[in-house]
Amino acid sequence: MATSGKVIRCRAAVAWAAGKPLSVEEVEVAPPKAGEVRIKIVATGICHTDEHVLKGCFPNVEFPVIPGHEGAGIVESVGEGVTSMKPGDKVIPLCLPQCGECSFCLNPESNYCLKCHFSEHQNLLPDKTTRFTCKGKQIHHFMWVSTFAEYTVVPEYAVAKIDPAAPLDKVCLLGCGFSTGYGAALNNAKVKPGSTCAIFGLGGVGLSVVMGCKAAGASRIIAVDINKDKFAKAKELGATDCINPRDYKKPIQEVLTEMTGQGVDYSFEAIGYAETMIAALASCNMSTGVCVMVGVLDSGSEISVDPTLLLTGRTWKGSALGGWKTRDCIPKLVSSYLEKKFNSDLLITHTLPFAKVNEGFELLRAGKSIRSVLLF
Amino acid sequence: MATSGKVIRCRAAVAWAAGHPLSIEEVEVAPPKAGEVRIKLVATGICRTDEHLLQGCFPKAEFPVIPGHEGAGIVESIGEGVTSVKPGDKVIPLCHPQCGECSFCLNPESNFCQKSHFSEQQNLLPDKTTRFTCKGKQIHHFLWVSTFAEYTVVPEYAVAKIDPAAPLDKVCLLGCGFSTGYGAALNNAKVKPGSTCAIFGLGGVGLSVVMGCKAAGASRIIAVDINKDKFAKAKELGATDCISPHDYKKPIQEVLTEMTGQGVDYSFEAIGYAETMIAALASCNMSTGVFVMVGELDSGSKISVDPTLLLTGRTWKGSVLGGWKIRDSIPKLVSSYLEKKFNSDLLITHTLPFAKVNEGFELLRAGKSIRSVLLF
Repeated sequence: MATSGKVIRCRAAVAWAAGKPLSVEEVEVAPPKAGEVRIKIVATGICHTDEHVLKGCFPNVEFPVIPGHEGAGIVESVGEGVTSMKPGDKVIPLCLPQCGECSFCLNPESNYCLKCHFSEHQNLLPDKTTRFTCKGKQIHHFMWVSTFAEYTVVPEYAVAKIDPAAPLDKVCLLGCGFSTGYGAALNNAKVKPGSTCAIFGLGGVGLSVVMGCKAAGASRIIAVDINKDKFAKAKELGATDCINPRDYKKPIQEVLTEMTGQGVDYSFEAIGYAETMIAALASCNMSTGVCVMVGVLDSGSEISVDPTLLLTGRTWKGSALGGWKTRDCIPKLVSSYLEKKFNSDLLITHTLPFAKVNEGFELLRAGKSIRSVLLF
Repeated sequence: MATSGKVIRCRAAVAWAAGHPLSIEEVEVAPPKAGEVRIKLVATGICRTDEHLLQGCFPKAEFPVIPGHEGAGIVESIGEGVTSVKPGDKVIPLCHPQCGECSFCLNPESNFCQKSHFSEQQNLLPDKTTRFTCKGKQIHHFLWVSTFAEYTVVPEYAVAKIDPAAPLDKVCLLGCGFSTGYGAALNNAKVKPGSTCAIFGLGGVGLSVVMGCKAAGASRIIAVDINKDKFAKAKELGATDCISPHDYKKPIQEVLTEMTGQGVDYSFEAIGYAETMIAALASCNMSTGVFVMVGELDSGSKISVDPTLLLTGRTWKGSVLGGWKIRDSIPKLVSSYLEKKFNSDLLITHTLPFAKVNEGFELLRAGKSIRSVLLF
């Protein structure tokens, strides 16, 4: 492309400091170095994790930073040695990479590529430099991908090439929220047909868990949220029951245990609150139940748990990006989307121009949106 | 037998109050009612859980009580309706029952019979009365089985009939400690051949976990204890490495992670301390590791855990009685014992006459014994 090899000036939403709104700025995006890909972002979702970044909940994230991690776009140029994609390809940048070489990538049971943010700070690219500058300052990446920018630069193994027929303003959600929830049910919990499930939190991820439980053939899918406005969509996506903890005097785990006799076979927490993490754990069958933790607690916080909950037989496990080996699986999920195997479009409640990014966050904070998609 | 239908006067070790030594008393043991079995105990092990009982760690246990839950004996008489055992049969009383009718017994994946002490107090038999009196007082059962008595009375579904060739002074350990540890490895963790394991705590249960990991074909079995006197036996039973946290400045989970590259595939905690539970959790592979909690924390205590340990992919699960459907499995374990498939005898460090029960507890407290077996 004409911009190949050159610095691109474009818009990006910069978080200059924790607690401040995003500022739409003009930034400079350097060309990709060896092994990197520069992507023109077409659409990006707003995920609650981005909100956590803005509030300063992640001590490893450095300001100023360009957030956003749920995007889709088109390759603008590639650095030396990049072979798996070329300019013009449709791609989803991966907030959880898949280098293919580390011991976790080589393990069929793991999706936790050692290049990811839990292991390595992804504030800077692997060569420890950033491709973003603004007003003379270096701007940090977020999980490398920084999709709140018209152009971003990402290592090749953090990019998935997808079907050219894919509508980027819809499949961007497969970059995080949808895949995270859907996979938690299918890969981490491995929900069995006829089983019972409870999902705490009906945001984008929680609703995707509902979809996953339904796809897996669960017989009962109980959706739990304190915001009743979320129930209609949960039902549309497959929830058989919707309950609000505020409607009960007794703890919600007791309600769920009574509703199901012994507790659910699989429970999920997709909020990131200690209290609901424990409630979800206690809601699953004391002997054979599985609780999958999807939501992320504020960094450094701890949960206080009664180990008897586990001693009786429960299983508690975590999930990152729905257990998918991302670079392998996201393209397949996009194909499944095109085959209409699931309807992730129902998660999109608002579509906004990129300039209205802060409005998108306000809708999220007010509980009025599930997924807002920003279009560049 | 001549005693059939009559009250039996015999010896028992009574705990009159928490914090007091056991008192060998003459007690009266009533005949079995319908559905019950009276057993002449021949041998009983001393398990740390009995010590916890003496210390008053279990709020639901009521004093005065006859402790002991790891015994073996011979059926003396049976109550009306009992069909699965008859006088003269060798049996192991089950501290964790298997009624065969409840939803958990009917579930192939569960061993958590709902008649167990987590769900129902086992201070009294199912008809809510005790069979023990002493000095005019009613004495409580412990987990129904109360094996620190020459005769005990237990519901039929809490008795396993075993091979008549079994040496009762050896197989009594299969009533709790051995089966708990061995099964944690085979049934709960499902240790795979070639994998790496770490076991925290080298008491009777921990050493049985070592045996289980070895039987499952683990390639590396790292035994962890602050008492180095326990290392020799751990090695004899299959440990490939023995380490003491006191020999290192850094946390033991870091030591284990460095020793194995990414952490162990399976970790076990067989002590019951919050700190070692977290260390064991953190010692297993962050993405695919499984931590099985075997040790029991003091009732009501909680552990504080960083959920990030799970979010990356770890699995945390509990284990009761090694996950065995106990009435089905103990006879088979006894047969395996007779076929010399494992050497649980190595756990027996001391054999004492029943009258020396308190000496047995002192050896346990001093860290000088693994299993003391008391002979009646």
